[in-house]
Amino acid sequence: MNNTNQTGISVFKENLKSIGKSFSASFLRSGRPISDRSRAAAMFNNFFLHVQGVKTHINTLRPGYTLGLGFASFALLMMTVFTGVLIMIYYNPSIENAYNTVKDINYVVFGGRLLRNVHKWAGEGMIIFVMLHMARVFYTGSYKQGREFNWVVGIALLVCTFGINLSGYMLPWDQLAYWALVIVSNIIQSPKEITDSLGITQYFDIGGLSKELFLGGLHAGKESLTRVYLLHIMLLPMILFIFLGIHFWRIRKDGGLTKPEHFVPSAADTEYLSLPEKKGGIFTTSKTYGLMELAHGKTPAVGKDVEHEVLSWPNLLIAEAALFMLCFAGVVVYAFFIDAPLKELANPLIPENPAKAPWYFLGLQELLSYSAFMGGVGLPGLALLGLALAPYLDREQDHVGIWFSNQQGKKTALLSLVVGTAVLIGILAFAINFGWFRNWWPNVPQLLITLINPGNIWVGFMIIWTVFVVRKTGSTRMGAIALFTMFLVGFVILTYVGTELRGPNWGFYWFKSQWPPH
Amino acid sequence: MRNRFYFWVLFLSTSVLLIFAIFAAYRAFSPEWADYQAEYKKELVKVVKDEAAKSKARSLPIEIQQMYLADLNGIDRCTSCHIGFDNPLMAKSKVPLKEHSGDYLKVHSAEKFGCTVCHYGQGRATNRKEAHGLGHDTHWDFPIIPAKYLQSACAQCHDAAMLQAKGWDQAAKGEKLVNEKGCRGCHKLNNVGGVLGKALEGVGSKPIAYFPMGAVQGEKTTYSWFKQHFIDPRNLVPESEMKISVTDEEADLLTTYVLSLRAGEMPKQYRRLAITDGAKQPADGETLYKRYCIACHGEGKDSIFDETFNHTVPAIRNPAMLRALDDKNLKKIVSDGRMGTQMTSWKATAAGLPERDIEELVVYLAKNRPAGKPAAFSFPISKADPKHGETIFKMRCALCHGKKGEGGLGLNLRNPVVQAFDPEVLAVTVRDGRKDTPMPPFGKDGVNLKDQDIADVASYVKTLAQRK
Amino acid sequence: MEGLNKAQNGAAVLFCSMLFSFVLIGTVQNAYGADSEAVSGKKIYEERCQICHGEKGDGKGLASNMRRMEKSGRILKVTPRDFTRGVFRFRSTATGCMPADADLLRLVDVGITRSFMPGHKDELKPEEKKAVIEHIKTFSNRWKDEAPCDPIPVKKPSWVGSKSSVEKGRIIYKKMKCWECHGDDGKGGGPKADKIKDDWGAPIPPFNFTVGALKRGGTPEDVYITYTSGLDGTGMPSYEDSLNEQDRWNLCSYTLKLMGLVK
Repeated sequence: MNNTNQTGISVFKENLKSIGKSFSASFLRSGRPISDRSRAAAMFNNFFLHVQGVKTHINTLRPGYTLGLGFASFALLMMTVFTGVLIMIYYNPSIENAYNTVKDINYVVFGGRLLRNVHKWAGEGMIIFVMLHMARVFYTGSYKQGREFNWVVGIALLVCTFGINLSGYMLPWDQLAYWALVIVSNIIQSPKEITDSLGITQYFDIGGLSKELFLGGLHAGKESLTRVYLLHIMLLPMILFIFLGIHFWRIRKDGGLTKPEHFVPSAADTEYLSLPEKKGGIFTTSKTYGLMELAHGKTPAVGKDVEHEVLSWPNLLIAEAALFMLCFAGVVVYAFFIDAPLKELANPLIPENPAKAPWYFLGLQELLSYSAFMGGVGLPGLALLGLALAPYLDREQDHVGIWFSNQQGKKTALLSLVVGTAVLIGILAFAINFGWFRNWWPNVPQLLITLINPGNIWVGFMIIWTVFVVRKTGSTRMGAIALFTMFLVGFVILTYVGTELRGPNWGFYWFKSQWPPH
Repeated sequence: MRNRFYFWVLFLSTSVLLIFAIFAAYRAFSPEWADYQAEYKKELVKVVKDEAAKSKARSLPIEIQQMYLADLNGIDRCTSCHIGFDNPLMAKSKVPLKEHSGDYLKVHSAEKFGCTVCHYGQGRATNRKEAHGLGHDTHWDFPIIPAKYLQSACAQCHDAAMLQAKGWDQAAKGEKLVNEKGCRGCHKLNNVGGVLGKALEGVGSKPIAYFPMGAVQGEKTTYSWFKQHFIDPRNLVPESEMKISVTDEEADLLTTYVLSLRAGEMPKQYRRLAITDGAKQPADGETLYKRYCIACHGEGKDSIFDETFNHTVPAIRNPAMLRALDDKNLKKIVSDGRMGTQMTSWKATAAGLPERDIEELVVYLAKNRPAGKPAAFSFPISKADPKHGETIFKMRCALCHGKKGEGGLGLNLRNPVVQAFDPEVLAVTVRDGRKDTPMPPFGKDGVNLKDQDIADVASYVKTLAQRK
Repeated sequence: MEGLNKAQNGAAVLFCSMLFSFVLIGTVQNAYGADSEAVSGKKIYEERCQICHGEKGDGKGLASNMRRMEKSGRILKVTPRDFTRGVFRFRSTATGCMPADADLLRLVDVGITRSFMPGHKDELKPEEKKAVIEHIKTFSNRWKDEAPCDPIPVKKPSWVGSKSSVEKGRIIYKKMKCWECHGDDGKGGGPKADKIKDDWGAPIPPFNFTVGALKRGGTPEDVYITYTSGLDGTGMPSYEDSLNEQDRWNLCSYTLKLMGLVK
C-alpha cells in the first residue's frame, strides 16, 4: 500500500529515478566498507569472497612467504577458463574441422590470435606455478598440523592440471597434437611390457585395454579427438573445480595458511589496521568455529593467536588484486609476442621425428626411453604415491610455517640439491655414452631391463639418500626435505634432457643445429 | 607500506596490461588487408570518373573478403588483399590490387573456384606470409606456385589434348618427356612401371616432409625439390641411381608435369577430364621401348659400363646378341627380370606390364635380329675338358668377366639366363664374339683359339653357377 | 807354332770361328734382350694384353670397343693405350720423358681405376711382370733412343688442404684458366671441353673432379705429380714451368676441395 502522501504516479517516478541507488543497495548490502564492521561484512556477505576469512594473518600477506604461487595458479586458471570458453565458440572437435577452426581463430576472429595465445600460455604457466606452489607448501611444512588431506587434494589437482594441459595440446589436430596423442597412448599401453614378459598378456592386457579406452579404438582417430575434447572441456575441469572447492574449503577450515609458531612481526607488518584491544568480557580474543570445535578443540585454529590478524578487506584483497593483475599482464605480454605453436595438419603417414610429448611430459618420456613400464606407469605412479604419502610418513609437527624448517633443513635441501644433480647427471651421462643392457647383451630378457634401468637406479638412489638422511639426522622431516628436493631435481633435469638434448630417434644431441636433416 | 607496495604492483601491472591491450587492439584493428583495401578505395576514387561512382567507392566497407568453396572443402581469403582482382579499372595497378591477368576468370569464376585451386597457397590465412605459405615457419606444405609451374594445376580438371589445343601444353610436354626418356623404367605411374625408384602416384600433392630437403638450394618447397632433382639427382639423394640428363627448360616442363600428379580427384562438377591413361592404351613396341627401357638401355646398340649402377648394361638391340637370344628367352628376361641387378621384372604381377605389351616389346627388339643362323659349332661338347677350360678362363676371360664369372666390364656369366643356354650356344658366342660390344671373337676370326679350347671354356662356364 | 800341320791349323780355325760365331750369336741375341725373357714376355702379352692393346701394341685389339657412362650421363669411349708412340699419361718423370719402370710396373699391378685396365697384382709373378714390360718396350723405338728422366721429387707441405691454401688454389684455378676445360664446378664441362682432342685425334673429355679420385689415385701427391708431369698424350699439359712448386701445391688443395676430399 502506498503509505506516503504522494500520488501513486509520483511515487513511481521517484522509484524510477532512484533505481541506480536502490539496485546497488540491494546488491551491495553491506554498504560501503568504511568501518571495520562493514569491511568484515563485505567479506562474509559476499558469495565469492566469503570463502576467504574476514581476517587474515599477517604472515599470509608477506610476499616472501608464499610468493603468491597458489593464488597465481588460481589466477592463471581463471584466465585459461575464460579464454577457453571464448575459444569454444569457434573450435569444432572433428578431425575434418579442428585444424581449420583453430586457423580461423588465428586469422579471422577479432583478437583471436591473442586469445588463443593467452589460453595456451596461461594453461602451461599453470603447470609451472602449480609445481612451484607444491614446492612452497612442502618446504614450509604446510602439509602438517591437520592439513594432511589438503595436501592430497593438491596432488589430485596437480594430476588434473597435467591432464587438462595434455588434452588441450591434442585438440588442434596438427602434427604436434596427433603424434603427442600417439605417444601418450603408447605410454598408457606401457603395462604391456610387464604382462608380455610375464606371458600373461593374452589373459590380462591391462595396457592394451587402457589404450583402447583412451583412444576410443585401436588407433588414434576421430573417436580419440572426441574423447580428448570431452576430457578437456568437461570431465577434467569438473573434477578440478570440485577438488578446488574442497581445497579452498579446507584452507578455511584449517584456519588459513600456516604461520610460524612464534610469529614476530617485522617493520613492514606494523602498518596494518589492528584490532582494537578487547577488554573484559567472558570470551577471550581467540578464534572459535562453533561450539563443537570449541568443546573438542579439534580444528587447528582453535586457540590460535588473533593478535597478528588484520582485516581481509582491503589488505588481502589488494594483494590478490595486485597479483592477479601481475599474472594477467605477464601472460598478455608473453602472448602478445610469442605465438602458440601450430604445425602442419596431422598426417598419420609422416611421423614427427622425434615425436615428443608436450614439454611437461618429456621427463617422463626420457624415463620411458629406458623402460616403457617404469617410465610410463611405475615411476610416475611411485612418485605420485610418494608425494601423496609425505604428510603421513613425516608427522613431526614442529617448525611449521618456516621455509626449510630450520638451519638443518636448509643444509639438507642444499646438500640434496647438489648430490642429486651430480648423481643424476652421472647416471644419464653413463647411459648416454655407453648405452644399457641391450647394447651390451642383445638377448637380455626385457624383465631384467624393466627392473634395472637408469630410471630405477635414480629412484633407488633417491630412496637410499633419504634413508641415509633420516638416519643421520634422526628426523623424518629432514628425510622428507631430502626426498622432495631430489624429486624436484629429477623432474627439472629429466625435463631439460627430454626437451633440449634429445633429437631424432631419441638420440643425444647437444644442440638442435646438430640434428641430421630429414 | 606493504599495501602501498601491492598498490604499486597493481597500478603498474594494470598500466602494462592496458598498454598491451591497446597494442593488441591496434594490431587487431589494422591488419594487413585493411591497409590494402584502404589503398584500393583511394585508387578507385582517383580512377573513376563520375561522382556517383566516387561516392560508392568511398563507402566500400573494409572487411575480410572470402570465398566459401563448399565442394572443394576450403575457404579462400586471398581477395582480402587482392581486392581489385576482378575490377578492370585496376588493370594497370600494382599487385596486390592489380586485376587478374588474362580471361581465366570468365570461365573460372572466383565464387566457384576460389584462388588456391590453381595458385595454391594457404587460402584461410589473412596475412601475406602465411597466405603465401613460403618458409618453414608457416608450416604450410603447398606455398604459392611460381608462374612457370602454374599449368600443373590445369591438369586437375582438363585433359592434355584440350590443354594442348589451347596452347597450355607445358604439362603435356612434360608428360611427353616422361614417355620418351623412359622414366617409367624405374618409377611406377598409374601402377605400371619399374620398382627401382619411388612410385609417382600423387607425388605432386605430397607434403614437404615426404622429401629429403636437406640439400635443396633456396626455398625448401616441393617444386624446388623436383626441379633440382631433375637437374642432378645425386645432389639431393646421394645414393640415387637415377639416370637423367635434361636441360633447364626440360627440367621445368618435367616439374610442371610431376606437380600435376595429385592424389585424389576434383569433384565431378569441376572436371572436364577425359580420363584416359596413356599407359593402358595399346602402344607399339617402339613407344613401349621409349617409355620403359630407354633410360637404362639407351638406344640399345652398345653395351656400356654404367658408373651409376656399377654394372654393364647389356645392349638389348645389338644384332649379335639377338642372334644368340631367341624370342622365348627375351620374353622371359623381360617378364622375370634379373634378380640382384637393376633389371626389373616387368610382368603384370610385378611392374604391371600386360603380356600383350611385353610381346610387342620383344617384337620390336627382335627387329634387329639378323637373318640366318650362325655357323654351327661342330666340336662335340662331350669331349670338352672343363679343367682345361678353367685355365683358359682364368687367363683370358676373368679380366672382363670376373674371376668367378660374376661380371665387371663383361656380363655376369653366373646369371641363370646364361646358364640356361646350351653349351653349343655359349661356344658360338665365344667363337664369334659380339660385334659393337667389348666381347671379341676368340675363334679363327679373332684370337684364333682352337675349337677344342673353346669347347673347354664353354663347358667350364656352364659349371660356374655351382661354384662358390 | 811350328810343327803344326795343316789339319791342326784347319781345326784351330774351325774351332775359333765356331767360338766366334757363338759369341757373335750371343751378343746379337743380347742386343735384343735376354734370351728366355723375351719369349715369355711376349707370350704373357699375347694371352693377357693383346686382346685390348692389339698384336702390334697399337691399342686396336679385338676388345677395344669399350664405353663408360659417368654418373652425370656423359659417355666416355675408353681406348686402350697405343704403345707404338711411346707416350704415356701416368709417369713420375717430367713431361716429354719416358716413364720409369716403376711407373709401368705400378700400372700392371694396380691397373687404372674407372677404366678397363685391370690390375694383375696376384695374377703374375714379379719376373713375369718385368718380362711383359720389357716386351711392351719393344713396340716403340723411343725406348731405345731415350733413357727415362729422373723422377720428380714430391714432398707434400703440411699446409696442403688448409683453408688459405684452398683459397689461393681457387685463384690460380681461375687465373690459369683451368675452368675453360674443367668447368667452374670441376665437372669437366667447361666452354672448351668439347674441342679437346688427344694425340691420336680422338675427342677426349676433361676430367670430372667431383667423382672423388683421379685415375691415378686419390692422394694429394697424385694430384701434384699430375700437375707437374702433365698427362702426355692428352689435352692436359704440364704446369712445371708455368707454376712454381708452392702454387702447384695450392692448386692441389683446391683440386682436393673439388674432389670433395677436403672441406
